[in-house]
Amino acid sequence: MSRTVSRAAIVSAIVKKDLVEFSRDTLYLFLSILGLVLFITFFWIAPSTVNETLTLGVHQTGMNALFDQFQEGADASEGLKLVQFASEEELKKVVAGDLEYWESKDGAQTFLRDKAAGDEKPKDAKKVDVAIGIGFPAGFLEKTAAKERTTVTVYSDAGVPSEIQGAMTSFVREIAYTIAGDAIPVTEPAQENIILGTDRAGDQISIREKMRPMLALFVLMVEVLSMASLVSSEVMNRTVTAVLVSPARAGDFLMAKTIYGTMLAMSQAMIVLIAIGAFTTTNWWLLLLTMLVGSVMFTGVAMIVGAAGKDFLGTLFYGVLFLVPLMIPAFAILLPGTASAWIRFLPTYGMTQVLTGVTAYGLGWADVWQNLLAATAWVVVIYLAGLFTLKRKVESL
Amino acid sequence: MTEAAIKVEDITYAYGDLLAVKGISFEVQPGEILGFLGPNGAGKSTTIKMLTGQVAPKGGRAQILGADITLDDPDIQARIGVCFEEKNLYLAMSAKENLDFFASLYGIKDPDSLEILRRVGLADRAKDRVKTYSKGMRQRMMISRAFINKPDVLFLDEPTDGLDPVTSASIRATIKEEAARGAAVLLTTHDMFEADELSDRVAFINDGVIVAIDTPENLKLKYGKRSVKIRLRNGSGVREETVALDTPQSGELLKEVVGSGEVLTIHTEEATLEDIFIQMTGRGLVG
Ligand SMILES: Nc1ncnc2c1ncn2[C@@H]1O[C@H](COP(=O)(O)OP(=O)(O)OP(=O)(O)O)[C@@H](O)[C@H]1O
Ligand SMILES: [Mg+2]
Repeated sequence: MSRTVSRAAIVSAIVKKDLVEFSRDTLYLFLSILGLVLFITFFWIAPSTVNETLTLGVHQTGMNALFDQFQEGADASEGLKLVQFASEEELKKVVAGDLEYWESKDGAQTFLRDKAAGDEKPKDAKKVDVAIGIGFPAGFLEKTAAKERTTVTVYSDAGVPSEIQGAMTSFVREIAYTIAGDAIPVTEPAQENIILGTDRAGDQISIREKMRPMLALFVLMVEVLSMASLVSSEVMNRTVTAVLVSPARAGDFLMAKTIYGTMLAMSQAMIVLIAIGAFTTTNWWLLLLTMLVGSVMFTGVAMIVGAAGKDFLGTLFYGVLFLVPLMIPAFAILLPGTASAWIRFLPTYGMTQVLTGVTAYGLGWADVWQNLLAATAWVVVIYLAGLFTLKRKVESL
Repeated sequence: MTEAAIKVEDITYAYGDLLAVKGISFEVQPGEILGFLGPNGAGKSTTIKMLTGQVAPKGGRAQILGADITLDDPDIQARIGVCFEEKNLYLAMSAKENLDFFASLYGIKDPDSLEILRRVGLADRAKDRVKTYSKGMRQRMMISRAFINKPDVLFLDEPTDGLDPVTSASIRATIKEEAARGAAVLLTTHDMFEADELSDRVAFINDGVIVAIDTPENLKLKYGKRSVKIRLRNGSGVREETVALDTPQSGELLKEVVGSGEVLTIHTEEATLEDIFIQMTGRGLVG
């Protein structure tokens, strides 16, 4: 008896079977749903506004005239606010968070509140976060004018981005320069910041917006683990052997896994991106394209991990091994200043740049096509590697 | 004479340096059951792996339904059924889902999965996930899967492995039904009773070589020594005499023994396939 069965029918039968298996895998089903809920929650609880005004605490003696001048400048400009402290010790405590600095609504009165000591909240006042402080030593003015070296201490909270710390260094230098006229006598290390991608200083985006690429990658990551476990169980239980002695071919099996992985990754990434409000009427197709590229890339990773991992722990081990480097570009966007130039060479770099560019800065095709092209090139490499690894594994059984 | 369904000429296979199959040849006709009988590591499963396209032979040729096995022809694959040595089932899916899935790979639109499960005694558990099955139930599931496409050629690697005697007997009956339908069956076993009962012909395979291949009857006639065991009363005790049957003096000797006292029992003793196997290879089927 001879029957003909189309390749498409075989592939779709395998995909259907994979979906049934996925729906029965309570662990990964749970992880996927938990992931979706958590990632969406993360996004909505993250700060949505950029704290553009930076409050700078200063302690100085004998430089009142100079600081009145700065104060005027600061008041006139947006984004910088100067607060003077009577002692360096107070300044240090406020920056460290051991003391709270409060200001009356009109700004005329200031209070220091020691919460640990049980101080009441000052009435009609608001708390001002002093994230960075500069302590000038006594006699700074005279010594600097005499071109003597002095030490200026910059206090900063751990949460202050490194660009701002760098800016402070420049600020101190500027003061010293103003006083001394030419040389820069302040002992502060020179600091270089590498800003990746387009330099968007002064064009800041909120943490929430910076989280988008990371959340998208998180979803893809959970998907990789889930698919890899499916692939590895198929390989380890040798069910794939039973599939291959039927009219189905290795190519059908691989095609089915590609479709299944891409479909699942893509649909979950879409859910998250829609839920975190990434889509607009103009960017939707660019986002879809980017996520398609990402989904295929991670499907390739899942194939490699699935072929390598022998059990749950093995899959997890290889999964983490491959996924950590892929996550770095997303973290780099979240924590600027932590990254170095080499992250440009990570496969997911282009993708994360496009995601932020498109969702946060409203960039279009013309701005992102190079990054998208780079991502696509990586997809080709990773997917082919996945295909090759899994094909060899399957055929060696 | 019809064309052989399985035709194997001098195929060999090696795992690295280890020669597992050392040039074996045989044929299986449609409707015929050929039993591969041999101890562990003899090369039975390796032969099946080659014939089903899981590994490529290192030498020799083989044809299934007239097509060379190296072609991996899907039209031929659609006509074979395989019961693997390892129980490679989808554990998270039910028996029926497993069968329906494999049926779809063969392009079978509405498979009669329940009927097939009934034949192996699993119809009442059809909706349960295979994960919850006992070892023997999984083995029956393996056999039912090999039947899903009404194959013209069946490869069964230790089909009754782990089955209780009653279930074994009923599975053997279904295998005979498949052969009666016209399927060529190649099965492996190390159970000489099963080989004897089920096979039209038996191939003794040892250390990668077929040492004998014939019907069980012929093998016994050719190699087995028949004898008669006679127990006689001997005063207050019992005496036992064994008389070989295949010698010119057998008749005389038998008369003499029977006439020498009060006969208690007379048994004819036929050599088992195992006896013959030991005689030919110098080793038993177990170990
Ligand atoms: N995957 C493998 N890698 C290396 N050697 C193997 C492999 N599979 C089988 N062999 C070797 O090939 C020889 C034949 O093995 P095979 O599985 O064909 O035996 P068998 O007759 O099916 O035995 P059993 O009754 O135990 O199933 C053995 O010596 C075995 O060690
Ligand atoms: Mg075997």
